[in-house]
Amino acid sequence: MSYISTYCHISLNQCFVDGKQTHQFNSLSIDQFLKDLYTALSLDYPKFYKMDRLTKLAFIGTELLKKEHPEITMYNDNEIALLFGNNNSSALTDINFKESYQNGGSPSPSLFVYTLPNILLGEIAIRNKWYGENMFIVNENFDSVYFINYVNILLNKNAEAVFCGWLNVNDEMVEAFLFFVSKKDIIQLNLPFEKSKLIELYQENKL
Amino acid sequence: MITYIGAENIISPLGVTSQENFNKIKQAKTGIACYQEVGFGKENIYLSKFKTQTNFYDLIVSCLQAVIAESITNLIFDKKTLVIISTTKADIQENIASPILFSVNKLKQEFNLYNTPIVVSNACISGVLAMNTANNYLKAGVYENVFIIGADVISDFVLFGFQSLFAISEMPCQPFDKNRKGITLGEGAGGVLMSINKNVYKSICFEFVEGTSSNDANHISGPSRTGEGLFRSITNTLELANLNPSDIDFISAHGTGTTFNDEMEAIAFGRLKMNKIPLNSLKGYFGHTLGAAGLIEMAICIQSLRNNIAIKSLGYHHQGTSEKINVTTQNINMEINTILKTASGFGGCNASAIIRKLK
Amino acid sequence: MEDLKTKLKEQIIEQLNLEGYNVSDIKDDMPLFGDGLGLDSIDALELIVLLENNYNIKITNPEEGKSVFNSINSMADYITNNKK
Repeated sequence: MSYISTYCHISLNQCFVDGKQTHQFNSLSIDQFLKDLYTALSLDYPKFYKMDRLTKLAFIGTELLKKEHPEITMYNDNEIALLFGNNNSSALTDINFKESYQNGGSPSPSLFVYTLPNILLGEIAIRNKWYGENMFIVNENFDSVYFINYVNILLNKNAEAVFCGWLNVNDEMVEAFLFFVSKKDIIQLNLPFEKSKLIELYQENKL
Repeated sequence: MITYIGAENIISPLGVTSQENFNKIKQAKTGIACYQEVGFGKENIYLSKFKTQTNFYDLIVSCLQAVIAESITNLIFDKKTLVIISTTKADIQENIASPILFSVNKLKQEFNLYNTPIVVSNACISGVLAMNTANNYLKAGVYENVFIIGADVISDFVLFGFQSLFAISEMPCQPFDKNRKGITLGEGAGGVLMSINKNVYKSICFEFVEGTSSNDANHISGPSRTGEGLFRSITNTLELANLNPSDIDFISAHGTGTTFNDEMEAIAFGRLKMNKIPLNSLKGYFGHTLGAAGLIEMAICIQSLRNNIAIKSLGYHHQGTSEKINVTTQNINMEINTILKTASGFGGCNASAIIRKLK
Repeated sequence: MEDLKTKLKEQIIEQLNLEGYNVSDIKDDMPLFGDGLGLDSIDALELIVLLENNYNIKITNPEEGKSVFNSINSMADYITNNKK
């Protein structure tokens, strides 16, 4: 039996951790919201400002959960796996990168490096010095069966915990559902890692 | 339990079957040629490109059909069969807002697949990672058969992007060589079938022993100077496989031809005391095919096992890494039983996998 | 030359996403890499793009860029000597 030790939902101007609201903002844009959340979390990590929107969202989601529950990071450096996904890869940054060279300018290397969705895994790994298994998938919708199957595979193989994320980023919106699955119920929220519970948590706070 | 691998296919500028591709590279033929004025600044660029414009969807369909043809009928429709697609940019030229799912949904319909394909999009390790994923699913009993197809096509998007990083070599790439100056991009598709059942294959199959991945946790576009992620991945894979470095007969490395990548790999192999094991990169023949690389190169590994031939590492002449490794300078007829395949990519990701002949 | 240096600082802050930096935070002789402003290898490549897009100067070899991008002073000198 494994547990969802903690989880969060992030959407424009609000954050919920373990079902309770932790932050609310009145930021006028998505990018401003992400900056405001970064500031509110008191993270001293200027590299944040170089990240693209998808990476910022994933990064800040993991930082939010770490802030609420520092205990979740008490693992050896190869024991936490990262399993993230979305339905449009790095599309927003792809469009921005293409624009950088289409209208008379030269292709931007700092945009190009973010035209791969797995870069966000790299940023999380760098920040935390986590050397474990990583994978990024692209799928139409949040697939609870995929996460149930593959997280359990990793926990039975070479991971003690898996940090999971399902992200939604485009021009007009950001949405993130992050959840931390571990063999022990670290925060004692008593959320068993099974399909019905995972779907229930995913759908929480959905308008 | 054993996971099997076989029914390998390659579609590249060198041919449309794995045998055809293997025969060409045995003769040191390369798919790389010089293309006039295709760079961002209208530079001439070396690329491994198909003679006619090829689109992503057609590539994955052709490759999947070829792998299906090498396996028993109707396996593809089975409810315990999964298709995994490995790609970095898929259809980026035609559909920038949703470059992947359009093709995948079409594939599911066209082949009447029971399960929705999984898409692994994890930079240049996508192919090896996809096979590792298949292995994990099979050993866990979630699926019984997994068709894995990796593909990527050359686009202005990708070429201009690598040019902005000054990563494109002015000459055909020279992995591990002291004069190497960067990558040569390539396009194509590679496919394999992995299964818990060795009877699904029309010809001899092999064992997929184990595979793992690990992040460098160092930099998003430059590899770790100590090769930490690759070192850890190979170490984990060997451990889970119950093997030692000395059990590996041949290494199919990633070898892109950049100063940093090849140096990092050599350091990782050195740390593992694998300096003497014959090793190559195939990118001198196919170019760097990104999401297809792991599959195309694994298909060549399987051909190497079938034929007991270690292929020359095209483009290599003189040691170019601080750690000395045993890069093949000609084809070698040798008994090969166990091969280690590695891959590394942007985002600090690294993956490794071991295949071997059945006893 | 002073105008050019100020403009350069503004462009760098914008193009490299140096959040929270003002023009006054970047001294003319401050090392841009390493211990000064702390830019990294991707920033160096982005500075090459900055020179191309804003000043029509093409650096074809990142090695060449190392001395050019040493500081605002060296960048301004280079632009003045090479502007087309």
